[in-house]
Amino acid sequence: MRIIKDTNINFMGNTKVAVFVSAVLILAGIGSMITKGGPKLSIDFKGGILVAVNYTEAMDINVVRSSLSSVVIDGQSFDFSQAEIKHFGDESNVAVRLPIMENEPEKFSRNFVNKMADAFPESVPENRTEFILSIEKVGPKIGAELSGDAVMAIFSALALILLYISIRFEWKYAVGAIAALTHDVLVTLGIFSILDYEVSLAVIAAFLTIVGYSLNDTIVIFDRVRENIKTMKKVTLDEIINKSINQSLNRTIITSLTTFFVVLVLFLAGGEVIHTFAFAMIVGVLVGTYSSIFIASPIVAKMGTSES
Amino acid sequence: MQSNLTPRYLIVGVILIWAIWALLPTWEYQQMSEEEKESLRTSGDLEKIESRIIRQGLDLKGGMYIVLEADIPTLMGNLADMRDERLDNVLQTAQEKSTAPDVDFFTVFEQEVNTHGLKLARYYHQYGASQEEIMAGVMEEADDAINRVLEILQNRVDQFGVAEPTIQKQGKHRIVVELAGIQDSDRARALLQSTALLEFYLVKNVGATNEMLAQLDEILRGTTDEEELIELTQGEKTKDIPEPEDSETAEEKDDDDDEGSKTVSELFGEKDSDPADTSKTAAEIFADNPLTGLLTAFSGDMGIQEKNAYAVRKLLEKPEVQSKLNNANGQFLFSHEPDLLQGSTTQEKYYRFYYLEKTPELTGGVVEEARADLGTLGSGSAGQPVVSLTMNSDGSRTWSRVTGANVGERISIVLDKKVHMAPSIREKIPSGRTQIEGFNSINEAKDIAIILRAGALPAPVNIIEERIVGPSLGADSIAQGTNAVIIGLVLVLIFMLVYYKASGFIADFALIWNILLVLAILASLEATLTLPGIAGLILTVGMSIDSNVIIFERIREELRKGKTPKAAIQAGYDRALTTIIDANVTTVIAALVLYQFGTGPIKGFATVLFWGILISMFTAVYVTRTIFNSITSRKGITSLSI
Repeated sequence: MRIIKDTNINFMGNTKVAVFVSAVLILAGIGSMITKGGPKLSIDFKGGILVAVNYTEAMDINVVRSSLSSVVIDGQSFDFSQAEIKHFGDESNVAVRLPIMENEPEKFSRNFVNKMADAFPESVPENRTEFILSIEKVGPKIGAELSGDAVMAIFSALALILLYISIRFEWKYAVGAIAALTHDVLVTLGIFSILDYEVSLAVIAAFLTIVGYSLNDTIVIFDRVRENIKTMKKVTLDEIINKSINQSLNRTIITSLTTFFVVLVLFLAGGEVIHTFAFAMIVGVLVGTYSSIFIASPIVAKMGTSES
Repeated sequence: MQSNLTPRYLIVGVILIWAIWALLPTWEYQQMSEEEKESLRTSGDLEKIESRIIRQGLDLKGGMYIVLEADIPTLMGNLADMRDERLDNVLQTAQEKSTAPDVDFFTVFEQEVNTHGLKLARYYHQYGASQEEIMAGVMEEADDAINRVLEILQNRVDQFGVAEPTIQKQGKHRIVVELAGIQDSDRARALLQSTALLEFYLVKNVGATNEMLAQLDEILRGTTDEEELIELTQGEKTKDIPEPEDSETAEEKDDDDDEGSKTVSELFGEKDSDPADTSKTAAEIFADNPLTGLLTAFSGDMGIQEKNAYAVRKLLEKPEVQSKLNNANGQFLFSHEPDLLQGSTTQEKYYRFYYLEKTPELTGGVVEEARADLGTLGSGSAGQPVVSLTMNSDGSRTWSRVTGANVGERISIVLDKKVHMAPSIREKIPSGRTQIEGFNSINEAKDIAIILRAGALPAPVNIIEERIVGPSLGADSIAQGTNAVIIGLVLVLIFMLVYYKASGFIADFALIWNILLVLAILASLEATLTLPGIAGLILTVGMSIDSNVIIFERIREELRKGKTPKAAIQAGYDRALTTIIDANVTTVIAALVLYQFGTGPIKGFATVLFWGILISMFTAVYVTRTIFNSITSRKGITSLSI
C-alpha cells in the first residue's frame, strides 16, 4: 500500500505562492500582536494568581463575575469583577486570574477560595479539598526571570542547532533551517495571538518541540539533497531539491500524519491542563511540515551550495 | 550469519529483560490494595518498593510546589548593630531595585551605599573595618543564614510528616519545597513561612495606653483628612464599589455603638459617655478620634472589628505615629486571630489590640522543648489546645526574674508579631515552664510546637512562587493523560500494520518496547513523570515511528530498483541511518536546552523526550534490524512484506 506513487511535483516553481501565504500568516499574527500589545502571556511570565475551582454544577461566568464584585478579605474590600474569569475544562470548573497585589492580605488565596465557595454554597462539593483544582501564584520577579529563561532557551536552542547543521552540512543549509524555524515559531505565536490563547511555560516547551520536529523534517529533505548532489551531475540545484522533496514526500506525509493524529488525540482527550500545549503542537506539526518544503528548501536553492 | 546474530540477540534480550525487571515494582505497586500497602508500610518494606517505582509529579499526584526567597534586606537590617533612617533608606532602595530580574541585592546595596556615602563600618563593625571586608562578611552571613533556613525547614517538614518531601536550594537565596499529596496547603504554607520568632513583651499599663491613644488621636486628627479615613475604614482599594455599600457600612457602625460597645476613651474613663455619640455619623466619630473611634471594648481588652483592622494598620504605619511610638518605647500589636464577642448576637469578629513594651523580655531562643497538648482540667484553658514550653537554664533564670518583678502586670506571648495571649502574672515562675494558648485547633498547636522546636528562621522568607494542584485535578490528569497515550498509541500501531503489513508489525513491536524502556529508565533514574512528561511520551510515539517510516520507505525504494530483500534491507538501513541520526540529534538538542532552562514539569517533559529519542535509536533501528536480519538469514526469502 502506498499513499502516493512516484511524484514529480514542481515545488520549487511554486515558491512565490508559498512566500505570499507565509507573509500573510506572519503579518496577520504580528498585526494581531501589535493591536493587542504583544502576545498574551500567562501568569508564568507576567506574575499573578490563577485560582481554579470545581463546582458541582455548570456555572454561568457572569453570575460568578458579579459575585466577585465586592469581596472583603481581612478588612480590605476588593472588586474582582474585572478579573479574567473563564471556564476551566468543563462548564462546572471556573478559573479566575488575579494580579499580584502589594500589601496582599495574609492567607489571601485561601480566603479568596473560601469566598468563591461561600458565594454558591449549594454548588460546592461536600469535601472541600475537592473544591480546589489548583492555585498558582507567581511573583513578578519570578515571572520576569521565567520570561528571560524562555527567550534564552529558544535562542540557545536555535544557536546550537545552527551550529550542528553547519558542521554536518553547510552553513547555507543552517540558514535555511533557521529561517524555517523562525517562520514556524512566528506563525504559531501569531495564531495564538489571533485566537487569544495564552502563552505559558508549557507553550514554550511546545515551541521548542516544534523547533525540533520541524527540523527533523527539514533535515530529512536536506539529507536527500546532499545525497543527490553527489550522484546527479549536470542538473540544476532547483531540480535536485525538487527531486529530493518528491522522493521523501511519502515519508513526510506519513510521519506528519501520524504525529498529527497523535497530538490531535492529545488535544481532544488530554485534559484541560495540556490543552494549549497540544494546540501549539498541532499548529507546529502542520506549519513545520509546510516550512521544510516551502521555506527551508527554496532558501538553500537560492543561495546555492558549494558542491553544485 | 547465525554466529553474527548471536551477540545482537544477546544485547536485545538483556536490555528487554532489564526493562521488565525495572518496571516490575511499579506494576506490583499499581496492583496493590491500600491494605496491602499499609501492612507493607508497617513492616518497612514499602519504602524499598517505592524507591523503585515511577514517581508521579505534583501535577499528577496533587500537592504543592513553593519557592521561598530569603528576605535579605530584612536580614541586613537585623544584622546592623545600630539602625538609623539612613541605613533603612538605603536598604529600602536596594530592595526595590533588586526586584528586577537577575539583579543581586548585594550589588545594588553596595552601589547605593556608595552613592549615599554611607559608612558601613558604622553599622557592621563586627565584620571588619573596610567596606570590602564588611561586604564579604555580610554576604557570608547571608549564605550561612540561607543554609540554616534550609536546615530548619527540613526539620519542620520532617516533623510535619509528609511522604517524600523535597527541599532544595535554588540559586543563592532561594529554596524550593515540593510536598506531594498535601491536602491542607494553608497549614503547610504557614509551617514553611512562619519565622517562628517567639517573644515575651510586658503589656503597658492602662494609664500609659490611654495617654498614648489620646496623643495618637491628636496627631492623626491633624494629618489625616476625613475622606482618607472613611476610605480606609471601608477598606477601599478599588473604586468600583457601588454607592449604597458605603452608607450600609456606616449604618453598621452606628448599630454597633447602639449595642453598647464603648469607645476606649469611655472604657478608660477619659471622658463620659456622650449619648449624642450614637447619633453622630461614622465620619464625625473618625474626625474627632481617628484611632480610638475604631476601637471598642472587648472583654477586658481593646478590640478592633475585623473589617477595621486594615484601617488601623494603615494608621499605625504612618511615620508620625511610628516616631511617636518609638519615642515612647512602645508598640501596638494585634491578636493572632479575630474572635467573636462573647454573649453578643452579632457575627462580627474582633481582633484584640495590645499596647506593649518595645523590647522583649525574653525570646524563643531559650525554648528547649515545645509540645502541643490540650489544656488540663481546672486551668483556664481546659480542653483548649495549648503549647507547653520548657526553657533552658538561662531562659528559666530570666523568666523567673521577669515574672518575679512584675507580679500583677500582664505579659504577652507574641509569635511572629502576633499576640497569642496576654495573661496577668500571678506569681513568680521559677521553673522556666510556660504555656501558650490561643490556637484554633490542635493541629495549629502541633504545628507551632514543631516550628518552635525547630527554631526561628535567621531571616524571614517570602513565597515568590507557589503552585498547588488539588487531588481531583491530578487524578483527572492521570486518567486523561493515560487515555490519550493509549488512544494515540493504538492509532499509530494500527496504521503501521495496515500500511507496512508484516514490517509494520515489527515496527509496532519496537514501538511498544520503546515506551516500556522509557518508563523503565524513568523508574530507575528516580525521575518524575509529569503531565508534560506524558505529552512527551506521546510525542516519542510519533517521532520514533518516523525512524521506521524513513527506513521502510528506503527499503521500498531499493526493492523497486530490483534488489533482493536482503540487499534492499541492507541498503535501506545504511542510507536511512545518517538521516535518522541527524534528525534526532537536533531534537535531542531541543530537549537538552529545555531541561536546562525549564522548571518542574517542563523538566519532566524534556527528560522523557530525551530518553524517548535516544531509546528510539535502539528500538526502531537496532531491534528492528535484528528481527529483519533473522528473517532474511533463512534461505529462500524472495519477497518482503512491506
